[in-house]
Amino acid sequence: MEWISILILVLTFLSFLAMGLPVAWGLGLASFGTMLITVPMLPAATTIAQRIATGLDSFSLLAIPFFVLAGEIMNRGGIARRLIELAKAIAGRLPGSLLYVNVLAAMLFGAIAGSAAAAVSAIGGILGKPMEEEGYPKGLSAAVNITASTNGLIIPPSNILIVYSLASGGVSIVALFVAGYLPGLLVSLLLILTAGFFIKKHQLPAGAPSSWRLLMNKTWRALPSLMLLFIVIGGIVGGVFTATEASAIAVVYTLVLAFIYQELKRGELSKVLLKASATTAVVMLLVATSMSMSWVMSSEDIPQSISRALLGVSENKYVVLILINLLLLGVGIFMDITPAVLIFTPIFLPVVTALGIHPVHFGTIMILNLCIGLCTPPVGSVLFLGVQVADLSIQEVVRPLLPFFVAMIVALVLVTLIPGLSLWLPLTFGL
Amino acid sequence: MGAMVVNVTWQVVSRYVFHNPSSFTDELARYMLIWLGLLGAAYVAGQEQHLAIDILPRQLSGPRGYGLKIILHGLVLVFAAVVMVIGGGNLVYITYILEQKSAALRLPLAWVYLVVPISGLVVILYQGIFINRDYQKMKSVKHGMD
Repeated sequence: MEWISILILVLTFLSFLAMGLPVAWGLGLASFGTMLITVPMLPAATTIAQRIATGLDSFSLLAIPFFVLAGEIMNRGGIARRLIELAKAIAGRLPGSLLYVNVLAAMLFGAIAGSAAAAVSAIGGILGKPMEEEGYPKGLSAAVNITASTNGLIIPPSNILIVYSLASGGVSIVALFVAGYLPGLLVSLLLILTAGFFIKKHQLPAGAPSSWRLLMNKTWRALPSLMLLFIVIGGIVGGVFTATEASAIAVVYTLVLAFIYQELKRGELSKVLLKASATTAVVMLLVATSMSMSWVMSSEDIPQSISRALLGVSENKYVVLILINLLLLGVGIFMDITPAVLIFTPIFLPVVTALGIHPVHFGTIMILNLCIGLCTPPVGSVLFLGVQVADLSIQEVVRPLLPFFVAMIVALVLVTLIPGLSLWLPLTFGL
Repeated sequence: MGAMVVNVTWQVVSRYVFHNPSSFTDELARYMLIWLGLLGAAYVAGQEQHLAIDILPRQLSGPRGYGLKIILHGLVLVFAAVVMVIGGGNLVYITYILEQKSAALRLPLAWVYLVVPISGLVVILYQGIFINRDYQKMKSVKHGMD
């Protein structure tokens, strides 16, 4: 009985996906179909409808629309431009400095915003033109911008870590946030090293000279934006407010900044609100229908069966982690990060916790892994935005992207094998 | 969405400035999120912006491509009709009869769940429009080929 349900659930879901049905509807339809085997139609429909509504009934989920809205406001220019100016002052006269500036700015942007989409279009939009004028190969610039932007999902605040916390049944958001810093730094470092190799090869020009005074000046100008980092993360870690409350404060703060910088006209606000609501709704429908699927799965004992099967292959935690990583890399090629986290967290988390892997460590591994998938064709939302803002075709960036994929995979291997990278900071803060 | 920001900000302000945590803001925010999420999802469905792996629909061109699109819209329509409208409607009916109320606001839960059938109806409307549009296109492409 159990295996028949698994088979029906997986097969219907996969064939819906292959046909091109939106993932969220596929999740709902497949779970409804699976329930119909054992339950009559009306109670099954009512249960799924209830799961959809109660799946969204969560205070921590509220942080997502707020961080999306804050990111959408920051995307208007003023904040991203000041962060780029600061990054330029730091990189100074280094040859090929604009590539470093891109990675640094993406990291700073990631540290105050919660999504990669905002970073890739904001930074790519501002840096794209000067880079082209100074003779940077367009494919290389886009490849750096695309891979560096995914860092925003690992560096807190991050919407996807909130989704993971929800899907895992309540792993601490604060711990996940703090755990992201070191892996995020590691990814940036490896991307910078990889970029350095190409800078020599293409003999890229040096940046404008910098001085202490310039650095101070730019830091001062970026300070109001960077304050957000201390307000949001400091506030959460210090226990002043919850992640959700911090996200609402972030909206109010960025709104005030945007009005002071005069980047946001009064009439534009409704457009920004509508866009943020639409972006949120995509995530919300996924959460709602995947909640109905995980309910159907657990009532049929499906996660247990899958973990038994996986543990049957090997009981060695590194073998299992490598297997899961390979599976997730494959998933990431075809599926966006949010549905992948919602679907696979409930399946894999029991397996790895049984082997003694910390849920926070696994969360970092999973997000870092799926970030690679965001940059790969045929399905990669950050890749699409990155080529769009650079005015290139996907074929033109795939080759320049390859070495940066290697850098990200090296980071993934290190984060997987060294738990301390993700666990040391949260443990130090006693989270 | 603007109201949600005000609401949660008020929660922080009331706790720290007035030392008087308000209990209803938490619940209100969660129910607003359910409404925003599901109505928004229906709106996004109308924009055809939900995340999908659209390799096959992009590969298939001509009448077969439109045929596939019609099947996909039909599947969403069935889900919206059976689960969201009938199932959701039944859910509203049950909670209304049982007079279930929320903990802090004493709001009837039927009002909260009402958004499920409402967004279901919006989704059905959009899918009906899309099916008609793609059917017309399929017919005209077929004629063009003859």
